[in-house]
Amino acid sequence: MAEPHPAIIRAQRLGRRFGGRWAVRDVDLHVSRGEILGLVGPDGAGKTTLLQLCAAILDPSEGECRVLGFDTVRQSAEVTSRIGYMAQGFTLYSRLTVAENLKFAATARGVPPGLLPVRRAQLLEMAGLGPFIHRQEGALSGGMRKKLALCANLVHRPALLLLDEPGLGVDPLSRRELWRMLEGFRREGATIAFSTSYMDEAELCDRVAFLDAGRLVALGTPADLRARGAGAVFRVASSEPGVVESALSRVPEVLGVQWQAREVRFAVDPARGLPSPLRSALERLGRIAPAPPTIEDVFVILTAGAGDRPAADTGAAIEPRPRGPGEASVPGISADRLSRRFDGFIAVDDLSFEVRTGEVFGLLGANGAGKTTLIRMLCGLLPPSSGNARVAGTDVVADPRGLRQRIGYMSQRFSLYGDLSVAENLAFFARAYGLDRRAGREAIAWASGVTGLAGLEHQSVARLSAAVRQRLGLACSILHRPAVVFLDEPTSGVDPLSRFRFWRLVNALAAAGTTVLVTTHYLEEAAYCHRLGLMHEGRLIALGDLAALRAALSEEVPETVEAVFVAYIERERARVLREGGTAS
Amino acid sequence: MKPSRVTAVIEKETKEIVRDPVTVGVALIMPLIMLFLFGYAISLDVEDIRMGVLDHDRSPASRQLVDEFVRSGYFRPAGAYGTPQEVESALQRNAVKLALVIPPGFQEALARGETAPVQALVDGTYSASANLVAAYAETIIAGFPEVVAPAVRVEVRVWYNPSLRSANFVVPGLFGVILMAFPPLLTALAITREKESGSIQQVYASPLTPAEFLAGKLVPYGLIAFLQIVMVIAAGFLWFAVPMRGSLDLLLAVGLVYVFVTVGIGLLVSTITNSQVVAMLLALIVALMPSMLFSGFLFPIFTMPYVAQLYARTLPAGYFVDFSRGVVLKGAGLPELWPAVALLFAYTIIIFALAVWRFRKKVA
Repeated sequence: MAEPHPAIIRAQRLGRRFGGRWAVRDVDLHVSRGEILGLVGPDGAGKTTLLQLCAAILDPSEGECRVLGFDTVRQSAEVTSRIGYMAQGFTLYSRLTVAENLKFAATARGVPPGLLPVRRAQLLEMAGLGPFIHRQEGALSGGMRKKLALCANLVHRPALLLLDEPGLGVDPLSRRELWRMLEGFRREGATIAFSTSYMDEAELCDRVAFLDAGRLVALGTPADLRARGAGAVFRVASSEPGVVESALSRVPEVLGVQWQAREVRFAVDPARGLPSPLRSALERLGRIAPAPPTIEDVFVILTAGAGDRPAADTGAAIEPRPRGPGEASVPGISADRLSRRFDGFIAVDDLSFEVRTGEVFGLLGANGAGKTTLIRMLCGLLPPSSGNARVAGTDVVADPRGLRQRIGYMSQRFSLYGDLSVAENLAFFARAYGLDRRAGREAIAWASGVTGLAGLEHQSVARLSAAVRQRLGLACSILHRPAVVFLDEPTSGVDPLSRFRFWRLVNALAAAGTTVLVTTHYLEEAAYCHRLGLMHEGRLIALGDLAALRAALSEEVPETVEAVFVAYIERERARVLREGGTAS
Repeated sequence: MKPSRVTAVIEKETKEIVRDPVTVGVALIMPLIMLFLFGYAISLDVEDIRMGVLDHDRSPASRQLVDEFVRSGYFRPAGAYGTPQEVESALQRNAVKLALVIPPGFQEALARGETAPVQALVDGTYSASANLVAAYAETIIAGFPEVVAPAVRVEVRVWYNPSLRSANFVVPGLFGVILMAFPPLLTALAITREKESGSIQQVYASPLTPAEFLAGKLVPYGLIAFLQIVMVIAAGFLWFAVPMRGSLDLLLAVGLVYVFVTVGIGLLVSTITNSQVVAMLLALIVALMPSMLFSGFLFPIFTMPYVAQLYARTLPAGYFVDFSRGVVLKGAGLPELWPAVALLFAYTIIIFALAVWRFRKKVA
C-alpha cells in the first residue's frame, strides 16, 4: 500500500521505563504531514515522556520511534536539528530580553543571520510581542512568555513542532492567541503534536490520542472519540443538583458525575447503557435527558475502573460546624482595598470583595495573576502593602495569630510530608493546630471519614496517587473545623474524575457552614462555585455569579466560563490601553 | 564545532551572568575572603612560646640559661615553679608549652667542665609545633655556654624564604586552592540550574552539540575564574607582601590554563547530576577537599604514605601549587617548571573531553 502522506512520527511498540515503572508502554503511533495531534490523559499518564521520546531527547527502553524518517536513537542529531520542542513551564532565559532569546534560539538552530530580522519581525508581529522586544523574558506575563517560547521554536521553521502543555497556567485569551499561531504555522505545512489538559483544545485537533498509565487507550478524530460516548451521557435538570448528585454517587454503574449550577451530568458504561431502575429513580428527582458527550466524558468513561473509586459516602453530607463566638453576624471574608507590591511590581492591586459564610468563592486566573499572593495575605502569611481584610471576623493585619485558629489553608501541591504516613501527617497537623490528644483523635477520625481516607492510614504519602494526596491535604486543613478554608489550586494535576469528587466534597463542606475560597486555572470548574472572582494581572476584573457576569457584558458571549473570562480580559486590556493613552 | 553556535552560547551566558550582579559580586568577593582567612589564620611560625622554669640550682649559670631562652625571641617566661607537681599542673593547664628543669649542681658541673644535664619538657599534644619548640630548645641548650672554638661549624642558610615567613609559603599555594574552591562550584551550578529550570531541554532539542554547548559555558566562566585568580594574586603581592621572584606574566599565563582545568571540573560534575545541591556537594568533594589536603598546600606530599602520594599526584591542584611556589618564591621559569605546565595543559584537554563525552543530550 502506497502511503499518501509520509509519516512524520512513526512509533512502534514504543516504551520507556524509569526504574521499575513504565512511563510509556507499547505505543504505536503514526502521525502524517500537516496533522495536529493532541495528547490527553491524566497526570502521570506519560504524555511528557512520549513527547520527549519523539523529540529524541529521551531514549526508549523498547520499541523504536522514527521522526521525519530518522531514528530517534541513532540519528538523534538529525531529529533535533529539524524539530521544535517546547517543554512544560517556562524554559527560556529569564534574564535575556525577547530579542536576545530569539537570537540565541535562531543561532543555535542554524538560522542564517541575514534571515533573522525578517523572521523575528514576522513572529513578534504574530505573537503581539513587538512592543516588548527589549524587555527581559522574566518580566513578561505568563501568556507572553509562552508565546515567546513558541516563537523561539518557530524561528527555524521546523517541520515538526512538539509542545508539552503549551496552554497550562496561561490566561484564556493568550491561550487563544497561542492556538491562532499554531494554526497559522500548520497552514504552512508543518505538523504539530502537543499535550494538553484542556479538553477544548483537544476538540480542535485533527486527532486525539488518549494516554492512560503509559498506554495509548484510544486514538481518533474528536468526532470518533465522542461517538464512543454516544448513549452513555445523560443530564438531569434539577433545582437541587446536590440531591441528584448524591443519589448518583451511590450507583456503581455511574462512572462519572459532573455537578453544574442547575443540572448534573453523568456518564455510564456505553456498552450497557442506562439501567431502567436508575432511570426511573432519577426521573423522580428531575428531568432526565441524553446529553451530547464531550471529549472529557469519553475520557471519564475510558479511564473509569482504572483509578481508585472512593467509598460512595465521600463527602455525602457533613454535619454543620459549630460556630465560634461572633462569627455568625460577619461575612466569611471581607477584603478592603487590599494591595501587595514586590519591589516595583504589583502582585495584588486594590482588591475589595466579600464572601458570605458557607459560600464557595472561586478565584479564577492564570499563573501570576496574583491568586496565591491574595490567599497568603488573607491567611496572615504575608502582610498587605496597603488595605486590610477580615477573615471570620478577625483582622488579618492586627491579629494574624488569632486568625490561624479559624482558618484552614491547603497550599499548592498540598504541602504534605511525603516520608510520613497518612496517619502521621494527620497527627502532625492536629498537633500543629493545638488540638489536645483526645480532640485530635476525634478530629482525625472525623476528617478522614469525610474525605474517604479510611483504610489508607498506614500508607506512605509519597506512594499515594495525586487524587488521594489531594483529599489528605484537605483533611489536614479542616481538622480543627475552621470557619474559612483556603484551597490554592487544589485540583491542579489531578485527573477529571477525581476532580469531580473533590468538588463534591468542597460543596458538602460549604453546606455545613464553612466558607471556602478556592483558586483554579481550570475555568470549567467555575461551575462548582457559588460566586466567582476573575483575576488578571493583579486585578479583580469581574465579580459575581456566572450568569450575572455574562449579563453584565454588552456583547453576546457563549455560555462557557472561558468565553466570559476572555470578554472581561479584552475589556480590561482595552481599559489599560485607554488609560495608558491618556496618561502619556 | 561551529564557531557561530559557540559564540551564541557564550553571548547568551555572558549576558545572563552580567545581569545577575549579586552572583558576580559573591563570585569575586568569596576568593578574597578565603585568601584573607587562610592568609592570616594559617601561620606555622612558632614564636612567643610560654615557658615555665623549675630551677633547683638557683645559680648565676642557671639564670643565664633562662636568659638565653628569652633572648632568642622564641620564648617568653610564663612562670617559675618550685616542685615537679607544679610544673606538670602548668603543662596540663596549658599555662606553658615548655618547662625547663634545671637540676641542682648545674653551675658546678659546668665549672668542672662536665656535661650538665638539663631537662626540657615539651607539650607534645600538637606535634608539629612541639617539634619546632623542641628543636629551638635543643639549639639554645647545645650552644650553652658559648663554645669558644668548635671543631666543625655549620652555617645554615635558608633559601627562597629566608625569613621562614608562613605567608610567603601559604599565599602562593592558596592561589591554586582557591581556584579549586569557587570556579568548579559556579560552573557546576550554571549547568544544573538550567537542568532544574528546564531551559536545558531547549538545548537538547536543538542542533547544538555537547562540545559547542560546553565550550560556550567554559569561556565565560573561565573568564570569571581568571578574574578571581588575578584578584587573588594581586592581593597576595600587595597586601600580604609576598615577594615575587619570577615572572608575573608566566604566572598569569599558566594561571589561565589552570583556570580552565577548574572550570572543566565544574562542567564534568554537572554532567553527572541533575540537581544543584548534589552538584554543589560533588564540586566540594571532588575539587576543594582533595586540593586542600593533597596539593601540598599545607601538608607536604613527600611525607605522605606511598599510596596517598600516588593519589595526590593525580590531582591537578598540586601541580599548580608547585608551579606557583616555584615562580613566586624560587624565581623559576619554564625551563625548570615545564613538566607541571604540560600536565596542566593535558588536564584541561582531558577534563573537557570527559565532560563532552559524559554530556548526553537526553533528559534521562
